Amino acid sequence: MTRFVAGKGVQYALVLLFAVTLNFALPRMMPGSPLIFLAGEDVGFMTEQQRGQLLQAFGLDQPVWRQYVIYLRNLVTGNLGFSYQQGRPIASIIADRLPWTLVLVGTGLVVGTLVGVAWGTLAAWRRRSALDVGSVGVAMFFDSVPSFWLGMVFIAVFAAGLRWFPIFGATTPGAGLSGWPLLVDMARHLVLPLTTLTLITIPGMFLIMRYSMLTVLGEQYVATARSKGVGERDVMFRHAMRNALLPVATVFMLNVGFIVSGATVIETVFSYPGVGRLLFEAVLARDYPVLQATFFIITVSVIAANIFADLLYPLIDPRVRHV
Amino acid sequence: MMGRARMLALFVIGLLVIPALGNAQSAAVRMAITRDEGYLNPYTYQTGYPGWNLMTLVYDPLFYPDENNEPIPWLVREVRVSQDGRTWTLTLHPNLRWHDGRPLTSEDVKFTFEYAARVTHSRWTPTTRNLDGVDAPSPQTVVFRLKQPDAGFRLRTLADVPILPKHIWESVTTVAAARAFTNTVGSGPYRVEEVRDNQFYRLVANPQYFAGPPRVRELILPIIRDATVSFTALQAGQIDTTVRTLTPELVAQFERLPGVKVVRGAGFTSTILQFNDEHPLLKDVRLRQAIANAINTNLMVRLLLLGYAVVGSPGYIHPASPFYAAGLKFDASKARAVALLNEAGYTDRNGDGIREAPNGTPLQFTLLTLAGNPIRIRGAELIRTWLKDVGIGTTVRVQEDAAIIDQVWPDFDVCKGRRFDMAVFGWSAPVMSRPTALVDLFNSDCRVGTINIGGYKNPEIDRLGSQLLTTVEIARQKQISAEMQRILARDLPVHVLFYPDTIMAYRSGAYDRWAFQKGQGIVTKLSFVDRPK
Repeated sequence: MTRFVAGKGVQYALVLLFAVTLNFALPRMMPGSPLIFLAGEDVGFMTEQQRGQLLQAFGLDQPVWRQYVIYLRNLVTGNLGFSYQQGRPIASIIADRLPWTLVLVGTGLVVGTLVGVAWGTLAAWRRRSALDVGSVGVAMFFDSVPSFWLGMVFIAVFAAGLRWFPIFGATTPGAGLSGWPLLVDMARHLVLPLTTLTLITIPGMFLIMRYSMLTVLGEQYVATARSKGVGERDVMFRHAMRNALLPVATVFMLNVGFIVSGATVIETVFSYPGVGRLLFEAVLARDYPVLQATFFIITVSVIAANIFADLLYPLIDPRVRHV
Repeated sequence: MMGRARMLALFVIGLLVIPALGNAQSAAVRMAITRDEGYLNPYTYQTGYPGWNLMTLVYDPLFYPDENNEPIPWLVREVRVSQDGRTWTLTLHPNLRWHDGRPLTSEDVKFTFEYAARVTHSRWTPTTRNLDGVDAPSPQTVVFRLKQPDAGFRLRTLADVPILPKHIWESVTTVAAARAFTNTVGSGPYRVEEVRDNQFYRLVANPQYFAGPPRVRELILPIIRDATVSFTALQAGQIDTTVRTLTPELVAQFERLPGVKVVRGAGFTSTILQFNDEHPLLKDVRLRQAIANAINTNLMVRLLLLGYAVVGSPGYIHPASPFYAAGLKFDASKARAVALLNEAGYTDRNGDGIREAPNGTPLQFTLLTLAGNPIRIRGAELIRTWLKDVGIGTTVRVQEDAAIIDQVWPDFDVCKGRRFDMAVFGWSAPVMSRPTALVDLFNSDCRVGTINIGGYKNPEIDRLGSQLLTTVEIARQKQISAEMQRILARDLPVHVLFYPDTIMAYRSGAYDRWAFQKGQGIVTKLSFVDRPK
């Protein structure tokens, strides 16, 4: 057991170091430079010397290996650095964005998974019925619909058309609300992006659950349970579903790690101030420190989710228990 | 029953009274912007448009561009220029105050330009290059001493650089600190009241503004990234206007929309076919002329912009600009394109449909264009088709901004050369308004022609350009500029395709007294305050 834990520990440490290095290298391998975002559109009117001063102020005149060493040192000391584009400490930018993303993507994942699982179980149970065939069709449709399009349709119908919900943002700008009214306002802004996200999360979970359920239902222990005279309901929930949940749990745990990366497309369509948009804008701006920091947090979170899954798995699947 | 009748009467009276209050303040106007603009102070705002325009609602330059882009005195009451054009003595308005109540004096002006020279900023610092010094002999008097007379001094320096409060910025001494500085105490008609990262800004009117209280009490600037969503929000009344120019296919629909007004005018943004003028084949004028003749810019404007654009002038300058060389235009003709190519000895010798140069090199080029700009992508496709018709091969390559800059304008330094053939490119509106635009764009010295991304060289243009740079008299500036445009029209270092119109829509019920700055639109200080008397 100790050897197992130690082995895993080393493995994760290596993965982390590798990912951290990649986070440093990849943004710098893109063509283009952050200069226009450091300097603004009039960068062309600056002298070479002035441009040099600017690069120096942000440490970009240093050789790459020095930048790498500084980057590692900052990571170890927990310093995420300053954004080129916004001139703000990245920790505070991410602290601003993360709650929105956690609420949006976290809720979307949980609701999407619950609905997907229930629906998949039901479809598998009624295999080849109109419900099953229809469900697969609907799921395939939502699985292939681009999320920005779905978001746009929702905006057109429910926000611009029926005016039930606001079109953009996470709160009403400048309304100065607080307490309950603020919460209600936030909830109203959350409905459409959350629905969009949930709708594109469900199909994947549905398809996995349905397939897994079908496989399990073909197993001998299900037949045994039935022949023992166990009621249909018990067969479905106690014998089949619990076992069929394993692949869903794996996919779910993987996604949990990625919650912090946000939902770039949906956040853009709805002007939602999450981490996904931050990431996207940082790519466009070649904002290396923001890219590094965000990727770092995603890396850590994915690894943490994996560790958690590793620890949890023996509990939900006794077959992988180690001695 | 009585109560209801009384309510109705009050309501009717209200309706009658409201229009009579024409000069009253509007409560709040919501104007969508496209991205974060830092803290909206001079070292953190981001974009040339609308960032600069919004920042100058909070800070004041000494002059300000009016509706025709002519710089008018703003913080300044009186201007005296010496005979040689090198000494400018300005008298400030009395009673100028910072938002924190301290007086704004000539010391602040002097400080601002010295600060800009010391703490690098891409827009302010270059304006200090020609300054010999700034003096503050009395609290209301500022004297600028120039090394050379400067054609652009009024517009590019005085009407551009916002004055900083010395007592606040003197402790911020490095570039990094300035770019992280959150203070927004300015002198302008608005104070920054609330900044929500990636959500919105809230500006509140400064009732003590020296030119009179602003006409809108509160400006809310929500950030909406997606263009379609921002127009949908405008249509649904969730915002009152947007800084974006309306896309051509929406114009007719918005013009019919009740409660929405559409204003339209010349746009000074350019869309150009940029040649690499150093390219072994493209450095031949005849080839560039042939390419330009093969492209039907009239049809392009009709197809891509539904007519909401002005066809490009070959001298770069927009026909609505005061610097335009009257009568200059480009008449494309496919027959002339073919004739030019044949004359120059570009013929298709191997029968593959692509002509070859006399030395055997095929006329095959790469055409770069910006991802995320459907009009330019379709424009590039049209160019490809039309060039194919006359035997010139092009491959359209759609790339994102930074990747294109990397090839067309490496490190934003034209001294570093270029690695491209042709690109559908464009310059923002302020480039057009500068009296020295043609020098910036086409001077062969890469330290003078700082945006000469094609590497164009012509001694005659250089000679006229150095004259233009030091000419202060506007009539003479126009003459020189016109002469330069006629040379450029023959040489075609770039082929100007079109200038999309500036089309802006707003809900007139929320606010209806917008000013329209030629070539730029409604995001100007003049939309909210009267010019100082």
